[in-house]
Amino acid sequence: MLDLFTYDFMQRSLLAAAMVGGLCSAVGVFVVLRGLAFVGAGTSHAAFAGVALGYLMGWPPLGLAILFGLATVWITGWMEERGRMKLDVSIGILYTTTMALAILFIGLMKAYNAEVYGYLFGSVLSVTGDELRTIGGLGLLVLGVILLFSKELYFIAFDQEMAEASGVPARRMFFLLLTVIALTVVVSMKTVGAILVFAMILIPASTAYQLTHSLTTLTWYSVAIGVTTSVAGVMISALWDVPSGPAIVLLATTMFFLSVLFSPKRINRPLLSA
Amino acid sequence: MSNSESSIIQFERATFGFPGIIALKDITLSISAGQFVGVIGPNGSGKTTLCRAVLGLMAPLEGHLHIFDCACDELRCHHRAQIGYLPQKGVVDRNFPVTVLETVMMGRYGALGLLKRPSGKDREIAMEALAHVGMESHRDTALGHLSGGQQQRVFIARALAQQPKVLLLDEPTTGLDITTQHNVIELVQHLHEELKLTVLLITHDINMIRSRVDRLVLLKTRLYASGPPADVLKPDILRQVYGKDLVITDKDLLIVEDYHHHHH
Repeated sequence: MLDLFTYDFMQRSLLAAAMVGGLCSAVGVFVVLRGLAFVGAGTSHAAFAGVALGYLMGWPPLGLAILFGLATVWITGWMEERGRMKLDVSIGILYTTTMALAILFIGLMKAYNAEVYGYLFGSVLSVTGDELRTIGGLGLLVLGVILLFSKELYFIAFDQEMAEASGVPARRMFFLLLTVIALTVVVSMKTVGAILVFAMILIPASTAYQLTHSLTTLTWYSVAIGVTTSVAGVMISALWDVPSGPAIVLLATTMFFLSVLFSPKRINRPLLSA
Repeated sequence: MSNSESSIIQFERATFGFPGIIALKDITLSISAGQFVGVIGPNGSGKTTLCRAVLGLMAPLEGHLHIFDCACDELRCHHRAQIGYLPQKGVVDRNFPVTVLETVMMGRYGALGLLKRPSGKDREIAMEALAHVGMESHRDTALGHLSGGQQQRVFIARALAQQPKVLLLDEPTTGLDITTQHNVIELVQHLHEELKLTVLLITHDINMIRSRVDRLVLLKTRLYASGPPADVLKPDILRQVYGKDLVITDKDLLIVEDYHHHHH
């Protein structure tokens, strides 16, 4: 069994899983707290449409994924800010439109392309060295942004208007958060797949949410849960020969339900909070 | 009491709202440093708009607004960090996973600016703010575990941590029981006196504040009256604004029933 971990591909996939798990779960804290769950789900589908277009036209898929992802979050944020439309409605429209585009692009391809499906369902075991460097580079960028602006991001997640009223550039921070979400989704797509990447953003932070009342602790718990479940998911995937994406996500979901059951918040919360 | 100090908030024939919807019209009002001002008026009278204007979140459609030495004819004012703001209850998610000290520390973020980490000094300021509202022993408690009145104290401490010149409170007593309401208003009065803060308190409850404020501002889209409580709380003035919702039970006791308390 331990032989498995001496293979290069296995080491690469474990490293990719750890990085993606850590990244998604750190960004996820702000997504969960600011109530942007649906935005992330929409972004991953938009990014997948970018990948499909890339393979169709022979353009770099990752670049187009970033372009599509960023366009989606920025349009969404702009629409919310203008008060034109509720966030869930505008995202719902963009989500289905980009998915329609993705299906169209795939339909236009002359031959079956396994790599496109790799982005849809995730294939961490086939991560290449180049992809690993891209994940590492973009991941560092995203984590750097989060670390630099963590206090503002926490504040706008808590209450954007109060943040703005106390002199924090809240609108710019909101768009920065949207950008970070889009980049994270794109970086993680190859590992867990466009369909499941959002679980990696949502579940570790939601699990941590059950366990603590402190923002700082919440973030650390979320990252620990994200890294652990990703790495363990890849190991399960390799040992029992099951797809890696579902292994990671189902493991994380199990942790989530356990945390709900044993949440200290549930036990300690006063029955009537005035 | 209002002294001859210079005015720090000045509305000059200012109109606020969105094109087609005017929330406040032609307001001329000047508030001096160190005053305790109560802002009253029925629902939809523009009280919250006044609040957003003072926070620099809304620019006047017509007229001018000066806050400190800043002309707020357009947004992006830099005065915001100097105004400590307590939003209406219900605006903020009170079960957000945050401790009391973490909440109060957020008051430092605007003044600190981007890319700066809070230092020991900032923690000290936050702890001092908690001491002012009598909540220092709860520093590590979860915000969601506190009672409504305690949460309100923590939010006031967050505003104080900004080391503001002005404390702006939007309906600070709504949703609290009567004893807690009194405690919160007493705390505000105490802070006004001890820290020499200018206080702008928006409320439905005239009776609660009439004996404590230096000045009342009566709004209903327009400015109906402004001055010492005794001059503003006259039946003929109040009847213009509140109409039949005004009930005067006694020569000393006024009860203004608001629309949402009223059973039609």
